[in-house]
Amino acid sequence: MAGKPGLISGVVRDPNGKPIIDARVYFTGGPEPLPDIAALTNSNGEFTLSAPSAGTYSIESNADGFSPKAATVAVASGQRLHLDIRLER
Amino acid sequence: MPTRRKPSTPTGGHTPVSNLSKEAAQISAVKAPVSNPPSEGTNPKTIKPRDDGAEAVKGFKMVEATEATLADLYTAPDTSELSDIGVASFGPPPPATETVHGPDDRVQITTTAVYPWRAHASLLITAADGSRWIGTGWFIGPHTLMTAGHVVYIKNSGVAGRDGWVRNIDVMPGRNGSSLPYGTVKSANFHSVIGWTNSGDENFDYGAIVIPTNLGSTTGWFGFGVFSDGDLLASVGNISGYPGDKPAGTQWYDARRIASVNPRKVFYDIDTFGGQSGSAVYRIISGGRYGIAIHAYGGATTNSGTRIVRPVFDNMVAWKA
Repeated sequence: MAGKPGLISGVVRDPNGKPIIDARVYFTGGPEPLPDIAALTNSNGEFTLSAPSAGTYSIESNADGFSPKAATVAVASGQRLHLDIRLER
Repeated sequence: MPTRRKPSTPTGGHTPVSNLSKEAAQISAVKAPVSNPPSEGTNPKTIKPRDDGAEAVKGFKMVEATEATLADLYTAPDTSELSDIGVASFGPPPPATETVHGPDDRVQITTTAVYPWRAHASLLITAADGSRWIGTGWFIGPHTLMTAGHVVYIKNSGVAGRDGWVRNIDVMPGRNGSSLPYGTVKSANFHSVIGWTNSGDENFDYGAIVIPTNLGSTTGWFGFGVFSDGDLLASVGNISGYPGDKPAGTQWYDARRIASVNPRKVFYDIDTFGGQSGSAVYRIISGGRYGIAIHAYGGATTNSGTRIVRPVFDNMVAWKA
């Protein structure tokens, strides 16, 4: 593991901008093998994933009743990024 | 009279650790005869597996490795088109980074109250900071489920208050969406090894959950074993679990031949997604299901699990209750 982990935080919202509780957020790829675990958003629709090393990460979010949404983010060592993910029905 | 080797306590990175004090762990552990064969539990209604080492699941077609797919497995991804640092863009993820490699062969299991599917559990994990996560576990005894180390102990997250033993885990065996045929059991009794808890080394990424009821006697459990490289490379690896990209709490199955092994890991092209950490990677021997690895990582070209080698096996025997 190289350097300090980066943090990818964000909020998952519905098409009206309302936070979605219990949306799943997980990596689908990255610069190294990643734990195959998924975060659940809290009551404010928030999540924080740890990016263990610098590089480009693919993230996906999904919730029942919505289509999955993918994001690609480039993270530097120790960097904190914020994503606003809006799921479509 | 046959003799049984008493399992020794592993050392080095495999030195076992628990979130409970030694005394508390001894009290909560149920002393029972230890064996490594599987049990199908009560009224299992098990469907006979196929002859090719995969489960007989309707709609499932196993993809055999070809020269083209193997070349795909061992070719480094093209990173020349990577975005600049700090760029965040939305769109389809780059194909080379998916943990589903090529066509997605996963098939949903709807008969989750039947063995072996009910020996898998959907996990709702509450970390020390209150954040919640999903994962997968599998019974190895009446009280004990195996899972990934990072399911029970979070390491190097960089988030204040998150690292360490998780607060608790809700165990939901045989879950099928909102249907919980065996209910939910909450556990705060976990095991892992110092190679994971101290070092965060993925080669030691395995752990166990001990539940306060003997639900595994009903659901049944998987056997587990230590196998040679040759045995593993000739095996079909089966994985079933609870991925986050599918409807909440639904169980999905895939199987393919094991791609490669090293002394601590097993690598495969079996499709997985976030939420399947902790799933059994298992082979079928004479109709019995035997864990060969604990699924833990999704990679650019292969997925991987912690191989059940002798120290892992000895810890599993010791943790089995």
